[in-house]
Amino acid sequence: MSVRHAVLGLLAQRPRHGYELRAAFQALVGGAENWDIKPAQIYTTLARLAQGGLVIEDSVEQDAGPEKRIYALTPVGRQALQAWFAGSIEPEHQHDEFFLKLMIGLVSGVADPYHLIHAQRANLFQELHDITEQRSQADPSRELAGMLLLDKAIMHLEADLRWLDTIEARLDEIRRQPLPEPETKPRGRPKKVWGLVG
Amino acid sequence: MALIQAENLTKVYGTGDTAVVALDHVNLTVNPGEFVAVMGPSGCGKSTLLHLLGGLDRPSEGNVSIDGQPLAKMSDDALSQLRRRKIGYVFQFFNLIPILSSVENASLPLLLDGANSAKTKQRAIEWLTKVGLEQRLASRPDQLSAGQQQRVAIARALVTDPVLVLADEPTGNLDTKSADEIAALLKQVAKTWGRSVLMVTHDPRIAAYADRIVFLKDGKIVNETHLANGGAREPDGRKVSPATALAV
Repeated sequence: MSVRHAVLGLLAQRPRHGYELRAAFQALVGGAENWDIKPAQIYTTLARLAQGGLVIEDSVEQDAGPEKRIYALTPVGRQALQAWFAGSIEPEHQHDEFFLKLMIGLVSGVADPYHLIHAQRANLFQELHDITEQRSQADPSRELAGMLLLDKAIMHLEADLRWLDTIEARLDEIRRQPLPEPETKPRGRPKKVWGLVG
Repeated sequence: MALIQAENLTKVYGTGDTAVVALDHVNLTVNPGEFVAVMGPSGCGKSTLLHLLGGLDRPSEGNVSIDGQPLAKMSDDALSQLRRRKIGYVFQFFNLIPILSSVENASLPLLLDGANSAKTKQRAIEWLTKVGLEQRLASRPDQLSAGQQQRVAIARALVTDPVLVLADEPTGNLDTKSADEIAALLKQVAKTWGRSVLMVTHDPRIAAYADRIVFLKDGKIVNETHLANGGAREPDGRKVSPATALAV
C-alpha cells in the first residue's frame, strides 16, 4: 500500500500537519468516495515514519483549536521516496475475490455459480453506471486528473464484465473438469523402484 | 401502461430439421421514457428481437403491442404507418443519404409521410438544434464526423415525434469519446424527451447508461439488471448494496 509514499511525496512538496495531508491525498485521488483513508491511518503512518527517521516534527501550529504537529521530510525520507519512484509497481491480477467466491461455490455446492455470475454482473454494471455518471458530470477543464482515475475504473470494469461473459460461456465446461486439488505428497520414505537399481 | 409489451415472442427460421430458433418465448415490457439496453453474444437473438419489436418482421408465435396497439392484427399498410410515425430507428452505420444536407436527411421520414416541406424543414432544424448540430445544418454526411453523423441520424429518428426509438449498435462505429456522447444523447432522448429507447449493444460501457439491461442468450432472456440512478448511494457516500438492484 502506497499511503506511506504518498505522505512522503506530499511532505516533499512542503511541510504539513496530518489533517492537511489527508485532505491533500483525497484531493489527489478525486475524493473520499474513490479512496478514503482514515485520519488514524495518516497519524500512525506519520508516527512510524518519524520513528524510522523519514520525517521529523518540524513545528507546532496552535491557533484556537488543538495544537497541530507539522511534519517535514528528512534526507532519509527523500531517499525512500526516490527508491519508490525508481521501483516498479506490480499489477495486482491474481487476488480476485470473485474468482475465489466462484471456485468455493463450485467446490462446496453451497451457491449456484450462475447466480453468482449474475449477481456480480449486476453489481459491476451498477458500478459502471455510477462511475460513467460521475465522469459525465466532471468538468474536463478543471478535473482532468480525477477523470483519468475514473477512466481507469471504467476500463477495469469493462474488462471484468467481459471476463464474466467468458466465465459464463465456459462454466459448463469448467464443471465437467476435475476441480483443482492440492497435490498429495507421499509420506514416509520413497518406495524403492527396483527397475532402476544397479 | 407499458409502451412495448412483448409476450411469448418466438421466431423460428426455416422448418423441420433445419429450423433455427432465433427467439424463444421472450417476454419483455418497456415503459414510457425508459432506456433499455439489450446485450448478449452474437447470434443470441438481439437483432431478431429488435426487428420484431419494430414491426420489421413478424413473429412465429407470440405478440407485440406498441403503445397499446397489437401488431399481429395489423395489415402491412397499417404496420408500415406505425413504423413511420411511432418508431424512430438508429443504426450502426447511420444510413444517411450522402448527397443530402443534415436538414434534408433529418426531414426524410416526414417527407416520406407526405408532410409539407416548409414545416418539415422547421421540425428538422428544431431536432438538429436539440442534438447540438445547429452549426452543421447545411453539411453533407462526408463533411461531418462519425459522431455528428449519428447525431443527424438521431434527429432523423425523432423528427416524426415517435414514442419509441430502436437503436441497433448505435455506437458500434464510433470512437470511445463519440460513443459516450451518443449514449448520453440516447439517455437524454429517454429522460428529457420522454421517448422509450431500446438499444442493442455489445459494449458494457454503453449499456451502463441505460435504466435496465436485458441479457439474451440462445434466444432467451437469461438475466435482467435494473440500474439505480444517482441515488444509489447511502448518505455517507457508501454504495447501496447491489443486491437491491438485482432482478433475475
